[in-house]
Amino acid sequence: MFQLFLIAFRNLGTHRRRTLLLGGAIAGVTTLLVILMGLSTGMKESMLRSATTLATGHVNVAGFYKVTAGQAAPVVTGYPKIIEQIRQDVPELDYVVQRGRGWAKLVSDTAAMQVGVGGIDVQNEPGFRRVVMVKEGSLDALSRPGTLLIFEKQAKKLGVKVGDTLTIVAPTMRGTSNTVDVTVGAIAANVGMMSDFNVFLHAATLRSLYQLRDDTTGAILVYLKDLSQVPHVQARLRQSLEKAGHILMDNDPRAFWFKFEVVNREGWTGQKLDITNWEDEISFISWTLTALNSLTGVLIFVLLVIIGVGIMNTLWIAIRERTREIGTLRAIGMQRRRVLLMFLFEAMTLGALGTLAGATVGLGVCLGVNAANVTMPDVVAVFIMSDKLNLAVNAGSVIGAMVFITGCTTLISLIPSFLAARLKPVTAMHHIG
Amino acid sequence: MNSGVAQSPIVSISQVTKDYTLGKVVVPALRGVDLQVHPGEFISIAGPSGSGKTTLLNLIGCVDTATAGVVRVAGQDTKQLSERQLTNLRLHTIGFIFQSFNLVSVLSVFQNVEFPLLLQRKLDKVQRRERVMQLLEQVGLAHHAKHRPNELSGGQRQRVAVARALVTRPQLVLADEPTANLDSVTGQNIIDLMKELNQKEGTTFIFSTHDAKVMNHANAVVRLADGKILDRLTPAEATRAMAAGAEAH
Ligand SMILES: Nc1ncnc2c1ncn2[C@@H]1O[C@H](COP(=O)(O)OP(=O)(O)O)[C@@H](O)[C@H]1O
Ligand SMILES: [Mg+2]
Repeated sequence: MFQLFLIAFRNLGTHRRRTLLLGGAIAGVTTLLVILMGLSTGMKESMLRSATTLATGHVNVAGFYKVTAGQAAPVVTGYPKIIEQIRQDVPELDYVVQRGRGWAKLVSDTAAMQVGVGGIDVQNEPGFRRVVMVKEGSLDALSRPGTLLIFEKQAKKLGVKVGDTLTIVAPTMRGTSNTVDVTVGAIAANVGMMSDFNVFLHAATLRSLYQLRDDTTGAILVYLKDLSQVPHVQARLRQSLEKAGHILMDNDPRAFWFKFEVVNREGWTGQKLDITNWEDEISFISWTLTALNSLTGVLIFVLLVIIGVGIMNTLWIAIRERTREIGTLRAIGMQRRRVLLMFLFEAMTLGALGTLAGATVGLGVCLGVNAANVTMPDVVAVFIMSDKLNLAVNAGSVIGAMVFITGCTTLISLIPSFLAARLKPVTAMHHIG
Repeated sequence: MNSGVAQSPIVSISQVTKDYTLGKVVVPALRGVDLQVHPGEFISIAGPSGSGKTTLLNLIGCVDTATAGVVRVAGQDTKQLSERQLTNLRLHTIGFIFQSFNLVSVLSVFQNVEFPLLLQRKLDKVQRRERVMQLLEQVGLAHHAKHRPNELSGGQRQRVAVARALVTRPQLVLADEPTANLDSVTGQNIIDLMKELNQKEGTTFIFSTHDAKVMNHANAVVRLADGKILDRLTPAEATRAMAAGAEAH
């Protein structure tokens, strides 16, 4: 076996130009794949991080309450009981919080902007504290009624500092607007692009703004210890909440504010619950991720096909050149299977060395880019979900890429190798050339 | 010399024909050959180019099958064996020496000679090393063990090939014109070496040649012409017969 590897290895060394060309191509594709996967994973991480902090839990129990058929409010009534039930039914639970939801205009002396307002009970928000980095003021300020948290970009736009006063103007369903003056209690570092249109207000202040009862909230955000459990938990909650007498909306994997139109058109009144997951809530931006992944897939596929043709061709040449050697080895007693292995090893060794080199370069690029801390222009930042270019480096996916590409090169080489193994020793032995 | 009449033959060929088909044309390469070779013999197959020497050796070497007739090697009818069994028969029973040496260019002399032992998987590393070095000693190339074939002369390469053919202690060694690519002195040396190993180890040799000087060393010369065996002579008779044949032209 070792000897077969040695032969494969040395043959690669003998045909240095050919090997470098093909190995280089394999390395190039690997590098590209590692970088693109890094970009995709980086985007996903950014998205997940910002989204699950600002807008959604891993699983959400939200819904709409309708006084009349055409007037839907995005609220959950009687939420304490639902939270109690979630604690019972979800052993995978990390923690659960409730947030008020609103859509309002934020007005300063110099500017105004439309934002989503989250009503937050900051004392009971462990995740929020972990992710939101306060630059000015403090999170604890938010435990005082009438206090608001905004993000750096918003602060700049509105021209406000901690301690300044802003007015929130919220349209109600009755067509009038309620207003409330709030104090900026904290200014936090931006968390991806989602922090551009989200602010957080003391929960009770939000309730009074919309004149909601104490046991009413916007959404219950459920955080799990393990993200892979999301589908199970989601399914289980649907069942158990339905059993507890709640009326559920049909599953609709979109963010909640896309649903007003549909909900308003339907004839029912009263409370319906809507169970979604984090992916649903950010689906309106995660298409960028899907697009990138599809693009990566197509690109890698095309490149692999080209490389596959190159490998087939090279092996054909190698087999032609070494026909007499194959015949000789078969004559002195090498079984067909070993001839097959000999050429497979050659393709595999080439693939392994090529991908190793490629992955090293790719990793280097990723780490370099991350270290350089490149700030992206706004247009790009919207697409990559972060103002910093973040190429996530994940050992598993890098090794996966290497194994995948090496596997492809080996697989494609099966065809010529198989034909080499089928050569009759007598014809091979007397082959001229 | 032990002609081994009492022993059963290692090669037994009866009524063998071999046709090659080239498109629609059938080329008869062997036309009814009978031959018996006994253990320990040192036999030369002589004949002009195109007389069927290579074809005959290929059949004996189990790298090709006869169109008709029976080829028995080491007691086995080669027609009855599968590809896998034939390969095993070649690996364990037969050694090959080729006209153009056919060494693996990317392996060293040592590794080339060791290769059949690796395929056999009978000996461990230490035993293999001992066996390979012993053979390289015998062919006078112990100091060249680490060289690559392309660093050696033709004669040296053929010595490596001889060592590779004999390393597994095969019962039978086949050599198709082993001296054709060598000058006459070097060719003589190779034949001498083969003869020496034949006498020391009792290995059976069958080699083909069209060179009268080379066949002098054989126990017997089997003369082949147009795919048929003419006769089986002593070297002296063969030389005389060939000289007469040459005069007759
Ligand atoms: N692969 C082949 N295809 C067709 N004809 C062949 C082939 N090999 C040998 N022959 C023919 O068979 C005859 C015997 O060839 P060969 O055994 O090579 O003779 P030798 O080795 O004595 O020169 C020749 O006429 C040759 O042309
Ligand atoms: Mg010949």
